Amino acid sequence: MTDRLDAPPKVTGSADYALDRTLPGMVFGYVVVSTVASGQVEAMDVAAAQDAPGVLAVYTPFNRLDLRTPPISPIMGETWVPLRNTDVDHYGQPIGFVVAETFEQARDAALLIDVTYDEKPALLSFEDGLASAEDAPESRGNPAQIEVLEAGVESIEDVFAAAPVVVDQTYRTATQNHAAMEPHSAVAVWEDGELTVYTGNQGSNLVAQELAGALDLDPATVRVINPYVGGAFGGKGRTSTPAFLAGAAAKALGRPVKVALTREQVFTATATRAATVQKVTIGADADGTILGLRHDSWSSTPISRSFVEPTSHGTSREWYATKNLSISQKMVPLNIPQTTFMRAPGEAPGSFALESAMDELAVALNMDPIELRKRNSSLAPPGKDLQWSSKHLDECFDLGAREFGWSARRPGGHAEGDWLVGLGTATAMFPALRFPATVGITLHADGTAEVATSGADPGTGLLSVMSAVGAESLDLAPERITPKLGDSMLPPGGMSGGSTATASVGTAIMLAASDVLDALLALASGPGAPFEGQEATYADGLVHGDTATMPFGELLRAVGQDSVSGSGSSAPGEEVTKHSFSSFGAQFCEVRVHRLTGEARVSRMLGVFDGGRIINDKLARSQIKGGMIWGVSAALHEALDLDDHGRFANGDFAGYLVPVNADIPDIGVRFVQYPDTFHNAVGARGIGEISTVGVAAAIANAIYNATGVRVRHIPIMIEDLLVD
Amino acid sequence: MRPFELTAPTTVDDALTAGGTFLAGGTTLVDLMKLNVLTPEHVQDINDLPLRGIDTSDGLRIGALERMGDVARHPGVYPAISRALLLSASQQLRNMASIGGNLMQRTRCSYYRDVTAPCNRRDPGSGCSALTGVNRMHAILGTSDACVATHASDLAVALVALDAEVALSSEAGTRTVELADFYRVPGDTPEIEHDLRPGELITEIRVPRLDWAENSTYVKVRDRQSYEFALASAAVALDVRDGVIADARVAVGGVATVPWRLPAVEEALRGEPATEEAFTRAAASAADGARPLAFNTFKISLVKRTVVRALLELTEGSGR
Repeated sequence: MTDRLDAPPKVTGSADYALDRTLPGMVFGYVVVSTVASGQVEAMDVAAAQDAPGVLAVYTPFNRLDLRTPPISPIMGETWVPLRNTDVDHYGQPIGFVVAETFEQARDAALLIDVTYDEKPALLSFEDGLASAEDAPESRGNPAQIEVLEAGVESIEDVFAAAPVVVDQTYRTATQNHAAMEPHSAVAVWEDGELTVYTGNQGSNLVAQELAGALDLDPATVRVINPYVGGAFGGKGRTSTPAFLAGAAAKALGRPVKVALTREQVFTATATRAATVQKVTIGADADGTILGLRHDSWSSTPISRSFVEPTSHGTSREWYATKNLSISQKMVPLNIPQTTFMRAPGEAPGSFALESAMDELAVALNMDPIELRKRNSSLAPPGKDLQWSSKHLDECFDLGAREFGWSARRPGGHAEGDWLVGLGTATAMFPALRFPATVGITLHADGTAEVATSGADPGTGLLSVMSAVGAESLDLAPERITPKLGDSMLPPGGMSGGSTATASVGTAIMLAASDVLDALLALASGPGAPFEGQEATYADGLVHGDTATMPFGELLRAVGQDSVSGSGSSAPGEEVTKHSFSSFGAQFCEVRVHRLTGEARVSRMLGVFDGGRIINDKLARSQIKGGMIWGVSAALHEALDLDDHGRFANGDFAGYLVPVNADIPDIGVRFVQYPDTFHNAVGARGIGEISTVGVAAAIANAIYNATGVRVRHIPIMIEDLLVD
Repeated sequence: MRPFELTAPTTVDDALTAGGTFLAGGTTLVDLMKLNVLTPEHVQDINDLPLRGIDTSDGLRIGALERMGDVARHPGVYPAISRALLLSASQQLRNMASIGGNLMQRTRCSYYRDVTAPCNRRDPGSGCSALTGVNRMHAILGTSDACVATHASDLAVALVALDAEVALSSEAGTRTVELADFYRVPGDTPEIEHDLRPGELITEIRVPRLDWAENSTYVKVRDRQSYEFALASAAVALDVRDGVIADARVAVGGVATVPWRLPAVEEALRGEPATEEAFTRAAASAADGARPLAFNTFKISLVKRTVVRALLELTEGSGR
């Protein structure tokens, strides 16, 4: 199996991240953030900062950089741009920017700025806001409320009233931050009327477009480069505050500008996953058949209302066969940092609620939780005619149950010494999507091929996937493929997000390969070429004519060309009119809870996934394991605690806990491989995000099995499990 | 971080004469300087001072500059001390941090560490943000209306359980203070955390000999398996003879503003059988006097359970 191509540079430290770049004449920026949660910046006394050693400029809402809101991106929505006005909508919001000759000078000068606020009462309580929540805006054509009712049914309430068994519970999930290792950062250079910005992101051409819009520049003059990204997880889809500030300051000052957020600033000056409250009602027949499902969701959202976590739409809308379905999504605007996409947005917190409720239903029915899920497996999303293109979820459960020893599970779990041990399971689903992507392929006279797109590899393995699919499409050994990405000058590769990159870029590679090989063969049989007038064909890196065979590099040399290029573009197409598409999986875990002190520790995990064709087993496992660890983190550790002044009381790595190695057991990963060529020619569906879906519920369900305690919020803490 | 002067004395006398802020491992001081919580103008790097050595010939004497990791691995160190150290921080931090510095570490209260928040300990009279803020990690014992910050050291809990003393030097001479008396509950003056006088330096930690302290341990309950501070912890030592408890030492951490010895629990254990029932009865008073806050009421129950668990680990073997 091919190794990760970018592993050696990353492991040895030679990988050149955006912030690693040091340029002649470069100066350093330091971001100043607000210390109130709501109001106006009345005044900023910057005199001392301006006079401090090495300071070149102090930008504020009163001494603004030339920045404006860029056009709204169809994928990501509106992006927040710093220093446009004096509004303060949350604690830790960027309100100033100091540029100096050294980092230390900029940082020290920033401390000298005296800010006066006209402070206003802040909206901080999500719970208090539930009563006056607003309907979420329509998202991708889906209204906030959707109801599907069987003929003759007037209200879903009637279904529940008649159902033999009803589960009706409310679940809560916490605010999270992506907490990528690489802080949001940028190095910007303004030279000869052109702007180059080195910044970690999920799609360099998309960031270049936003920067051009924000700085009012011709898009052709803005270049964004990110060969390596130190983690993104949805948090680097939108252009970051450092990229806007560095770009604008470099243009204003005519010097390269480097800026990174501090770790504390990453928690407030980027964006978070919203907190959610979810009410789930399931009515079932005595045999477990779901008669009706209602899932009402509330999401916290910033004052700008820029993003809502779509928990009902991301799960109950599609997951189970039911003739009666009612979902709704509301939002509660608060004085909190921006919210945005974070690994499995909607599906991750949504699945905690739905899959906990399914476990509660299994308990109420005295039924095996896997049996219950199989009983309600769907052929298509409720109320839709388009069937799943390829669904092998039952096989995932069967394989997982066998390997995990599910049959040994007993109601009430069992004890090992002072530890109470339980098993839990949950369904995982994530929609299979594609985004538009273009790939260029160039065959070189030295016998190598370059496969290029502007997209990003934020640790997902896209670089290695491009090598593998490129090699397959061009009939060449992977060593002869040079994959290139992370540069907006390359063909527009779209977004590494939504678990779409392999399907989107992979399909474009196949089309580009076909295009470049057509061009190659046209050259081969062209006037004066070695196979003039013949029907040339291509296989295994060789061009075959009637009279001879030669490697493509030799052919290019024979016709006097260094290279030949082609390109291919893919986008969601006809397939969406024929099928519904999703990846599927079954999560299993074993949790131990100390009978006296209540610590919950995950001791075994297994995930079995149906993600279509797996292009690179090693990288796919790595992606899945990372996602499952995210699930453990959400279930037992991660929560940003907003206090009574609107501060995150734990907004640093000392207080915002993620698992350490000792918290994570060996993780089993299995794939059932059924290439899904209904979805795309490569046959691969997304696997990046599905792996975190369902994990938190599986852990909560295992804790219930071990202790008899049903915890309906995450993270689950020690105090939830101190039972007598 | 603000600019500061850095000197590096090589003798204790030089260090005491020059004054300033002492830097040993730097794992607290540098951290808080980066956050602008501490802004010393003069820092003395004392790592070249001859304050090393671990002597186990009669009880335990540990030079203040010994590293946490080295002390933890020393075969003559009582198990409660060794375990308290091994459950602290991370291996990298244990390799850097000194024993004396460990005893001087500041609270982890997030409001103390955030200079934009009022904090009586950092900025006397400014108010306590934790009283109405996020206070799940905060203390329930030894608190006041001025401050509810938890003492963060694991080591200090084990040392207080075992009657440790600290040797202090200043230009005025040397003195020895029982560690239990060294720390100050916040009262109205939370900025005064301990008995150390200006310019005074911890030179040595001494633990009196206690043969049955070989039967001691430290249990730490926290939100993840490693690299996190205690929600509750217990250092215990038991002298069990024919199934009956002859003597006991119990101190708890993670729940109090200073390392918290529990003499009433010790007294309740004496003469009792070494059983879970007896441990549970004795631990019932572990949180007496507790003043819980909005988010940490659970610590009243948790600290008792932690004491019971630690005592059980001493009587039923390890691996639980």
